[in-house]
Amino acid sequence: MRAALRRAATSVAVLALLLTGCSGGGDDGRDADGTIRLRFQSLAWQKESVDANKQLVKEWNAAHPDVQVEYVQGSWDSVHDQLLTSFEGGEAPDIIHDASDDLADFAYGGYLADLRPLLPERLKADIPEQSWRTTTFGEGVHGVPFLQEPRVLIANTKLLKASGARVPTPERPWSWEEFRQVTKELSGQGRYGIAWPLKEPVSVTLNLGLSGGGQLFHRDGDGKAVLRFEPGDGVVTGTIRDQVNTDDSAARSALGMGGSDALPGFFGGKYAMLPLGFSYRQQIIQQAPEGFDWTVLPMPAGADGTVQGVSPQTLSVAEESPHKEEAVAFIDFLLRPANMVRLARGDWMLPTGTEALADPSLRSAEHGWAVGAALAEGLRPAPAQSVRGYPEWKDKVATPAYQEFYSGAIDTDELSKRLVEDGNRVLARYQR
Amino acid sequence: MRRGLVRRGPLAREASGRESTGLRTGRAARTGQYLALLAYLVFLAFPFVWLISTAFKPARELGSLHPTWIPENPTLDNFRQAFDEQPLLQAAGNSLVAAVSAALIAVVIATPMAYVMARHRGRLASAATGWVVVSQAFPFVLVIIPLFLILKNLHLINTLWGLILVYVVWSLPFALWMLAGYVRAVPTELEEAAAVDGAGRVRTLVSVVAPLLAPGIVATALFAFITAWNEFFFALVLLKTPEKQTLPVVLTHFLGAEGVADLGPLAAAAFLATLPSLVLFAFIQRRITGGMTAGAVKH
Repeated sequence: MRAALRRAATSVAVLALLLTGCSGGGDDGRDADGTIRLRFQSLAWQKESVDANKQLVKEWNAAHPDVQVEYVQGSWDSVHDQLLTSFEGGEAPDIIHDASDDLADFAYGGYLADLRPLLPERLKADIPEQSWRTTTFGEGVHGVPFLQEPRVLIANTKLLKASGARVPTPERPWSWEEFRQVTKELSGQGRYGIAWPLKEPVSVTLNLGLSGGGQLFHRDGDGKAVLRFEPGDGVVTGTIRDQVNTDDSAARSALGMGGSDALPGFFGGKYAMLPLGFSYRQQIIQQAPEGFDWTVLPMPAGADGTVQGVSPQTLSVAEESPHKEEAVAFIDFLLRPANMVRLARGDWMLPTGTEALADPSLRSAEHGWAVGAALAEGLRPAPAQSVRGYPEWKDKVATPAYQEFYSGAIDTDELSKRLVEDGNRVLARYQR
Repeated sequence: MRRGLVRRGPLAREASGRESTGLRTGRAARTGQYLALLAYLVFLAFPFVWLISTAFKPARELGSLHPTWIPENPTLDNFRQAFDEQPLLQAAGNSLVAAVSAALIAVVIATPMAYVMARHRGRLASAATGWVVVSQAFPFVLVIIPLFLILKNLHLINTLWGLILVYVVWSLPFALWMLAGYVRAVPTELEEAAAVDGAGRVRTLVSVVAPLLAPGIVATALFAFITAWNEFFFALVLLKTPEKQTLPVVLTHFLGAEGVADLGPLAAAAFLATLPSLVLFAFIQRRITGGMTAGAVKH
């Protein structure tokens, strides 16, 4: 009996020892010596990008001993839930890295600071108006858009040359009709001219739809969002559907894939082209077989030119942060032109800042940087990103509707009916 | 001989036929069972084998249109990169502390509670059983914000203590459920026999019941350990600073936006993260075998 008690006591002691050092302290944002402590949650995940962020934090901390920034790595995979809980619990990071299409709920919920009175003139002037619009919710600006990526066509150079098709440039892109013709010419003998990896079809469709004059989301007289399917909305959707179901020039099996899933087929010559985000170039460089020749082309242009929607990566400041001015000063430092270039290169994306975008390293022909940079002017806020109820519309209405449409199960009328009628019912609930 | 043959006439042949048909049916059933088992094993093993294969493949092979099971040019680069980019050892240490502590505490609390639930039938036991069932119905997202606020008031946010507390509470209902089942399997006659021999209640529990519950306690501890070791969402939300983060949280740092992943290093790190559970199972498996009480009581 005593032995048993002794064993139990020992177990408790071992447990106590195990837990030694487990405790942490509270954080009021300022040390006893007056040093301000800011928490910067970054979503950078690729090595070059993480290194660039960490290095910049280090440089800031060395230059500002009284305002020290702690780098915390978050994850794209779960950022929304994690931030929501942190906001609700009053434990949010001071400086928050996210994407503009994730900010609406936080901005309208009062969790993100309005940066208008805090932003320095230099930063305001450096980032174009269309980028600022991506982070403007109601009257306030709730984030600084700093990195963005257009969708581009990654093409197998050898197959493209062999087809004899005209090679498009940002100045002279393909029209959507011409693009459809080229994909037909590139198809045959078990090969497809293109594969559309549309695992998440909504944002791709809406963003590319802008080039054909599509908008889908409009504002009525009261400023409320309302859905309307107009002829321009059918340009991109119609092209994709025809490629899959009529021309057999787009791989049906790719419709359910993500971008990475389609790469093996591209490298193996099964698909001649892939529409992917600009940052996929890094993965292509890592995984392409030796000697595989690829090139970056602009997406086709419609009536409205090479415009497309984007949801830039953003830096915001938590409303509850006691040191908003210092947090914005850090953001300003992070987004100085030279630093923005480092961040952009680390993430294989484009900076929003005009001065950074002019950097020669982002204008080089290598790896298609110049093509991407030339497309920057045509990047617009993604449709609907500031519309309340958009996530529900996307998940419950639009995603299944687009999936069925592209696979040929429903026609344009049915697609339009579902997107608009079902969609407006969803939006109405959020705009009462 | 002839008589023997006569005796082994139609009836005997029928019996022998039935026997051989039964044998054939038995063999067919057995073959079917083995095939089903094999299919199940393949189903279970496929992701793990694929994970190992991916962990040792160079980036170029990951992009191959015709992937192979065995890497053509096996490499350790993914492991090097994984360790280089993320503090895996520190995260594994945190996970280990959280999981071991949660498992030990859960078992220490659950064992006496399970005994009471199993042996004493009354309103309290019924209420406890009801609570166990109901508590299983709450999804993470429903409890996370109130839980966060409670832990904040207790100054337990961003501490492993806080996380351990959550893991204990989270695994306790199922641990109780499991252990109560094991307690019910221990014949009450053994306790009565101990009482007849003069053992008090505590002595009976410690010297008779506890040793017989050992497999159940080990299985429950293992369940609590694995639940805590793999848990992601609570750790993500409750731990703020990098040096406190656990392995599942750190693994997500290999994931980018829109499902893009640094596949090689992710597979390498995920493979390493599965090893402790596997090793633990390998060592403890024998102890989980039941039947320790078989033959203890003559009916």
